Amino acid sequence: MSTEPAVTLDELETDALTEIVNIGVSRAASNLRKMVGDQVLLSVPSIEVVSQRRAARLINEREITQLIAVRQDFAGPFSGRALLIFPEENSLELVRAVTGDELSPQEVQDIEHEALAETGNVILNSCLATMANMLQRSLTMTIPEVLRGDGAALFETRDETAADGLVLFLYIDFAVRKRDIRGYIAMLMDLPSLQALKALLGEFIERVVGDDG
Amino acid sequence: MAEAPASDESVAERLRAVLVTSGASGSWDWDIAADTLYFDEHFADLYGLTPEAGVAGVPGATFFSAIDPEDRARMKIAVAGILGGAELFSKEFRIQRPDGSVLWMHGRGQGHLDDRDRSVRFTGLLVDVTERKRTEERLRIAQSAGGVGTFEHVDGFATASVSTEFCRLLGLHPARVLPVRTINSVLLVGDKPIIPDTEQTGEPLDGEFRIIRNDDGAERWIARRGEIVRDSETSGYRFIGVIYDVTAAKQAEERLRELNETLEARVQEEIAERRQAEETLRQAQKMEAVGHLTGGIAHDFNNLLTIIIGNIDTVTRRLDSSSDPRAKRSLDNALKGAERAAALTQRLLAFSRRQALDPKRTDIARLLAGMSDLLTRSITETIAIRIHAPGDLWNVEVDPHQLENAILNLAVNARDAMADGGNLTVEAHNLVAEAGNTAAFVEAGHYVVVSVTDTGTGMTPETVAKVFDPFFTTKEVGKGTGLGLSMVYGFAKQSGGYVHIDSVPGAGTTVDLYLPRAADGEAEAAAEESVQAIELGNRDETILVVEDDDDVRTYTVEILRELGYRVIEAHDGQTALGLLTRTEQPVHLLLTDVVMPVMSGSELADRARAIRPDMEVLFTSGYTRDAIMRDGRIAPGLDLLPKPFTFASLAAKVREMLNRSVA
Repeated sequence: MSTEPAVTLDELETDALTEIVNIGVSRAASNLRKMVGDQVLLSVPSIEVVSQRRAARLINEREITQLIAVRQDFAGPFSGRALLIFPEENSLELVRAVTGDELSPQEVQDIEHEALAETGNVILNSCLATMANMLQRSLTMTIPEVLRGDGAALFETRDETAADGLVLFLYIDFAVRKRDIRGYIAMLMDLPSLQALKALLGEFIERVVGDDG
Repeated sequence: MAEAPASDESVAERLRAVLVTSGASGSWDWDIAADTLYFDEHFADLYGLTPEAGVAGVPGATFFSAIDPEDRARMKIAVAGILGGAELFSKEFRIQRPDGSVLWMHGRGQGHLDDRDRSVRFTGLLVDVTERKRTEERLRIAQSAGGVGTFEHVDGFATASVSTEFCRLLGLHPARVLPVRTINSVLLVGDKPIIPDTEQTGEPLDGEFRIIRNDDGAERWIARRGEIVRDSETSGYRFIGVIYDVTAAKQAEERLRELNETLEARVQEEIAERRQAEETLRQAQKMEAVGHLTGGIAHDFNNLLTIIIGNIDTVTRRLDSSSDPRAKRSLDNALKGAERAAALTQRLLAFSRRQALDPKRTDIARLLAGMSDLLTRSITETIAIRIHAPGDLWNVEVDPHQLENAILNLAVNARDAMADGGNLTVEAHNLVAEAGNTAAFVEAGHYVVVSVTDTGTGMTPETVAKVFDPFFTTKEVGKGTGLGLSMVYGFAKQSGGYVHIDSVPGAGTTVDLYLPRAADGEAEAAAEESVQAIELGNRDETILVVEDDDDVRTYTVEILRELGYRVIEAHDGQTALGLLTRTEQPVHLLLTDVVMPVMSGSELADRARAIRPDMEVLFTSGYTRDAIMRDGRIAPGLDLLPKPFTFASLAAKVREMLNRSVA
């Protein structure tokens, strides 16, 4: 574990970001519900700002197997890379959930990549778009990309120069009943981007709480 | 519920219905588009508002009016989330009552979206959780103080809700929700899962688990206690429970168990040692008793033998050549018998270790030659005996009888080690021990080494290490005294020498006796043999005989008078001292028994010397245990004539002392 991140969010900022992401996740859940046709329970995420190394460790601590991730880069007042991460073993289950159990195992395998990318896009897009919307800024996003690897690979901690970046680490529980699916959202940002995000959160709080906060 | 309330009645009706089913403290219905907040009477009561206002509606921001300022910002942000499109609202916050009291509320609400996912209404319930908050606070303190972590797992879900303490106990990064897989990954391989993946009916809910703590890798014991409850929401099961660290208890248990185990072993060991000690003590007491008995018998027996031998002696001397030769033969036989009895008595004394060492310059070769007969008789015929002693052996200064005894002891041990026959070798050689080139136990010097070698069973090093211990014996109980080798050892040490054992199991044993070389000079022969002619005394020489046994005294006095000495006698020490005080004439020699009632021989000698400093003192005894012994050797300057003595030995000893006195 390296030193503590240089930018930390105070309690209100964390609350604000949590609520914003909550909105995003709600929208994602709403969208997924439409895709899956079944109740999707999304837990209110907890948020932490950690170093890339710490993020890798957090993931490795929780997930023993290989991971699969959907990646989308975003750019705007704050830029970075968003990752929706699942244990690899959950991947087909998720695909099966979103395709409604109508496909044969072979068909599920065939469309796995595409289905994951689409699902990831729904969730990440909901979160990032909500953030942009609530913070009254706009973000541009790249096309989703599917990656495989362990925590270190996903957070690029093996690349020494990149390992100093910070990660906004969100734990979300995709508790789809009888589906055993869970996942994480991580947003990798450099220091200036995180500072920009912090400033925007301050503005948001100012708007919402007003004078009597 | 996507549309705005149609009428006051329907709103009130709906709120009541919600209340009845939920049992909540208060409820609200926030119309976002109209920015109007409706609420029930309970909500109104909590907020200090009128029920009528709740029905009529108030501005939305009224929702925050009663919320404690410390929680207000947080709640505004949370509500902003709902207004922005979030679906679920679940927060705990404080409200200030009009009377100034503070209550903890749990607000649980839902955002209602229109077709375009825009928030239109925000409904929810307020539940008074003040009591629960306090309980939770107590529980939290109890948990952190007691190191108890909690978990809750809904059957079928991949995650479990956990407490911070739970994470800490397993060494996991603090989180409120953890994958079951993560929780179970800390287990040592092969253990049952802390949280089972599916409900396992029949599995006990209480369990103990060995884990490797994730953060520091420490191996710990974790106990789990829990309950299965039916989940009202999912109709499945919830497994709710606690974990806590029981490593210390486990370790204590383990230590206690080890202690118990070793305790048993230690007790057994102690008992064995004690038995051994008791056995040793018993043996020692037996030997002590036998020693007392033997010593006592020997003392009296020697007195009797002195009389028998003395009188046979006297008769023999008075037979002239014309006497019947058969009478002479009979007397010789009687004397031989008495001498054998005397030898037996001597052995009894040696056995009871109450014999004083009487070191003499001794010729080992001659001693070994003399033992040949004895050894042959003591050793069975299946064993070939070889005795080898070169003629150029140095003299040693030892008690010859004790040396014989020691060699005999070793020979008997050798015999017992060769039940099926073999070779026994007794040999002697000179040895010059120089510092650095001889065995460590031998000091530099000149020694005659007497070796007794057998081709018997041999001994292990462990046995060799113990053979000199008193009462150690490899023989069956009752067969050996366990004193043989310790007597040999004691004798060698007493004589300024050493004993060394070299033994190979199955190949045989060699025992070496290292005896220090004596100053050059003629070896002293046994007293009897040195007397060639009887030297007579004369009437100028006065001898005081003190002896409590009348027969022995009579015999002794008779011999001395026959030899020509002037003799006065006393039957105890007091009388003797009286005689010495009263008489003016010189007394040249005090001949006294050692063991006498009231005043011992040595006490008498001390007091007599005070009166007559120039007087010589000769002790006689069949039993000289403590009276005149110093470290097992006769104290320097003391003369002892062992009983039974003969005419010749008494005559020679008395003459020797009187001559010395004159010189």
